[in-house]
Amino acid sequence: MTRLLIAASFALPLALAAAALWPAMRGRLLALLPVAPLPALAAAILAPGGSLVLTPDPLRLTLALDTPGAMLLGASALLWCAAGAYAASYLATSPRRTAFAVWWLLTMAGSLGLCLVADMTSFYLFFTVASLAAYGLVAHEATPTAQRASLVYMALALLGEAFLLLAFVMMAIGVPGGGNPSIAQAVAGVATSPFRDTILALLVLGFGLKMGLVPLHVWMPLAHPVAPMPASAVLSGIVVKAGVIGLIRFLPFGAPLGGWGEALIILGLFTAFYAVAIGLTQPHPKVVLAYSTVSQMGVVAAIAGAGLVSDSNATPVLVAFYALHHMLVKGALFLGVGVIAAAGGPSARPVFVVMAALALALAGLPFTSGALAKYAVKDLFGNGIAALAATLSATGSTLLMLHFLRRLSRLSASDIEVRPPAGLLLPFLATAAASFLVACLLLPSTGTPYAAVFAPEALWKASWPMLLGAALALALRRSALRMPSIPEGDLIVLAARLVPAIRRLADAADRMDETLRSWPVAGALLLLLLLGLGAAMQLSAGFHPVGG
Amino acid sequence: MTVSLLPVWAVLAPVIGLCALLLLEGRLRPEWVAAPFIAIGLYLSISIAYEVISHEASLVYALGGWLPPLGLTLRADGVGAVLLALTALVMVGVSICAWAPADGAGGRGRSGFWALLLALWSALNLAFIAQDLFNFFVALEMLSFSAVALVALDGSRDALTAALRYLLFALAGSVLYLLGVGMIYGRYAVLDLAGLREIAQADPVTLAALALMTVGLMAKAALFPLHLWLPPAHASAPAPASAVLSALVVKAPFLIILRLWVDLLPLSAATAPPQILAGLGSVAILLFSILALRQQRLKLMIAYSTLAQIGYLFLMFPLMPGPAPWLDIGWTGGILQLVSHGIAKAAMFLAAGLIYEALGHDRVSELAGLARRQPMTLVAFAIAGLSLMGLPPSGGFIAKLLLLTAAVEAGAWWIAIVVLAGGILAAFYVFRALGSALAEGTPAVAPVALYRQGAVLALALCALALGFVPLRPFALLAIGRPLEAMEALP
Repeated sequence: MTRLLIAASFALPLALAAAALWPAMRGRLLALLPVAPLPALAAAILAPGGSLVLTPDPLRLTLALDTPGAMLLGASALLWCAAGAYAASYLATSPRRTAFAVWWLLTMAGSLGLCLVADMTSFYLFFTVASLAAYGLVAHEATPTAQRASLVYMALALLGEAFLLLAFVMMAIGVPGGGNPSIAQAVAGVATSPFRDTILALLVLGFGLKMGLVPLHVWMPLAHPVAPMPASAVLSGIVVKAGVIGLIRFLPFGAPLGGWGEALIILGLFTAFYAVAIGLTQPHPKVVLAYSTVSQMGVVAAIAGAGLVSDSNATPVLVAFYALHHMLVKGALFLGVGVIAAAGGPSARPVFVVMAALALALAGLPFTSGALAKYAVKDLFGNGIAALAATLSATGSTLLMLHFLRRLSRLSASDIEVRPPAGLLLPFLATAAASFLVACLLLPSTGTPYAAVFAPEALWKASWPMLLGAALALALRRSALRMPSIPEGDLIVLAARLVPAIRRLADAADRMDETLRSWPVAGALLLLLLLGLGAAMQLSAGFHPVGG
Repeated sequence: MTVSLLPVWAVLAPVIGLCALLLLEGRLRPEWVAAPFIAIGLYLSISIAYEVISHEASLVYALGGWLPPLGLTLRADGVGAVLLALTALVMVGVSICAWAPADGAGGRGRSGFWALLLALWSALNLAFIAQDLFNFFVALEMLSFSAVALVALDGSRDALTAALRYLLFALAGSVLYLLGVGMIYGRYAVLDLAGLREIAQADPVTLAALALMTVGLMAKAALFPLHLWLPPAHASAPAPASAVLSALVVKAPFLIILRLWVDLLPLSAATAPPQILAGLGSVAILLFSILALRQQRLKLMIAYSTLAQIGYLFLMFPLMPGPAPWLDIGWTGGILQLVSHGIAKAAMFLAAGLIYEALGHDRVSELAGLARRQPMTLVAFAIAGLSLMGLPPSGGFIAKLLLLTAAVEAGAWWIAIVVLAGGILAAFYVFRALGSALAEGTPAVAPVALYRQGAVLALALCALALGFVPLRPFALLAIGRPLEAMEALP
């Protein structure tokens, strides 16, 4: 039974997506979105830890459910469910709703399957499905901005997959028996592999791209805000976690790796602060949220790095726990932006209060999931400078989130009579509540007792960086410092300069082909090739002229 | 090896069908005449594959009881059997898709199409199971002439120009090949590969002959920079013909090059010649993928994609370093690339043909609304595209994975990078077409019979199913290797 549930986690969304081939199903697809993730939710709750499913030979699919996988599976299923209900109401009149539903279901199948797979090729399969199908979500609005964003997204997603594929191939080579090893087998060989550093670099590049580690974050502030609201929620909440699952599964925790842990901490914390700095210059709340995701994923990378350094066995669970907190909170925040935009005057006020609590949860506000997550991971960082920087990242988050709330307050509907439709409000509230409840329920599995989190000392530790952040925000406002205007995706501007050069290159390719396809040139090349290949063959066989 | 008449029948059956078509022209619809022979061809290919797999040995027949070096032998080894099955699969898919029983009496063009299709089938089967230089030549000539005629079938000015280009270049290739055969015969007086294998030496004459044959065959396989004939030819032929041309016809000369290099005169993978072939393949992958991205017409885009995918095949030469290349992962990867590209490209060209029929054009930028009006065709196109991009789960992915593994094991990093970059570029050109088809629009769409769309989808699903083959060198592709000379009938 549990096996069936585990397999249905991604099989049901896939089957629903395939159902779009039947015209009769197409109209109903959008309304079915909240149902699709239910098997995954049930599997995460009901399936015992360590469940293993092996499919018969040609399918070559191994599924396993462990604690970090179950945490992320359950939380993503919850968010998929709520965001699906939200989408059913948000996009009910969109002319492209069927296409949206298909992309949505495919992305869902990929992201849910990713939490379950235990072999290399299937991991790559689900990773690819999740990231390529998300292209459809980014491109949905079909505006010029969306087209540009989806193109950038696509290019970088494919690049990231190329990095990963090469890394996976190099990992599989080291495994005796070859073929399609399990992830655990392949990871065990990394530390002693002759390609160790290349593999780790490629993994960090591939998964870092998905998580948006600087400078590979440029697609995120473009792609997440242009999607429809529920799609932004799952993109920022769930799809980026594909990179986190990658780190959890593929980093060889517990093996000596000379410097890679430290490198990951530095990269992660740099990302965390860099994204705050850029995010503060952004006017649109959705873009600010996207930068906040970049920042938070930097923190997650730093946690993974600290896990590598400290050699702690608990690292995968802790990383997953932090990711779970961010997943639900960020999902709720994006859904909430849509609710605020549809609420006028008095009805916006209570929503705004919930949003404020959620936003500050990202900075670790006491009595929210953020405080639990930050407390659970703090020991990994030890007591050095990394610990201080990680603590100060909460200050940065506070600054950024206060900026977000200010921007958000200008967003509410101008007509004060408008009330948010229940189809939007309820999924938002459910996600917000789930973010706190789920984190509370799962706290013991990270080995942190409740008493410790709510002790006065812990509360103070969580509060002072935030108070510092609030003071900084106030000072920043008083100083009337004019924020520079930085385009969304900051560094992408540099890449954009390359576009004319690329176009010229492609034109040159066109002209080259034109030339090559003319008879005299082709004839000459035929002869040249004949002579060249002939000469090379004579030489390679060690041909010496007679008497030579 | 097992003696069997099956290989002979595989070559003869389509020829008999061709004769029947010519005799009955005007009396019966050409589809009905060709159908039984297509079924027989399918049956023969499947039984050959079955025999080869179950006995784990080649099927051999020496025509007229003559033995090499004088006689001509047909020998279906593991690779040959796989390619016969591929050919049969594509032929059946193409036939169903080209089947149009409803419209008026079969004119000369229709009858010609089916006749040429059967002629091509016979030539392909011969090219895949021949094991001597003369039979190769016969197969190549049959192949070129029927392929050229298929390109010209349309009768339009463009088609005739394209066919003429094709013919001239194919002839140049034949001349070079024949020159090489002549030199080999003059040197050894043997044309059988197995016999040559035992006596051939890497002396200047043999090497020069090999170079001549290789370059001649490269011209027929349209490897960069000898590709001038392919894009116009494949784009102006009728879509079912393009499918066969792109999926199968260019593969025959490649397979012969492979047999020459592996069976006739194994050169060390570390030397320059294999690197040159792989280098040309790499340029083809990168250059033609970029050009595919810039084509305005779907069929031209697919034709350029074929040029790029041929490049992948030539990557395998430096990736077979072992003393028994057929046991290396590069050998499996290359052949799998050949097979999966064959199926996927056939599906893609057929889908493009149906799109053309539905919309009356195949301009990539004007496909809006197709997703809603012809979802089945578009899904087939997308699945075939998946295999070309090398994304899982598809045969193209496994082929790419094996080639990558071989490249990393051989330390050929440039090949690994080219394979990955080619996949990214392919994703761009496939997504460009898909994105355009997924856009909103309400084009006027001519109805296309559901069974024809279904045939294309079935072919595309076969390309997907190839993704479930195991990830290691296949024993099947090594059957019949190394070649043994036949001293007497066993």
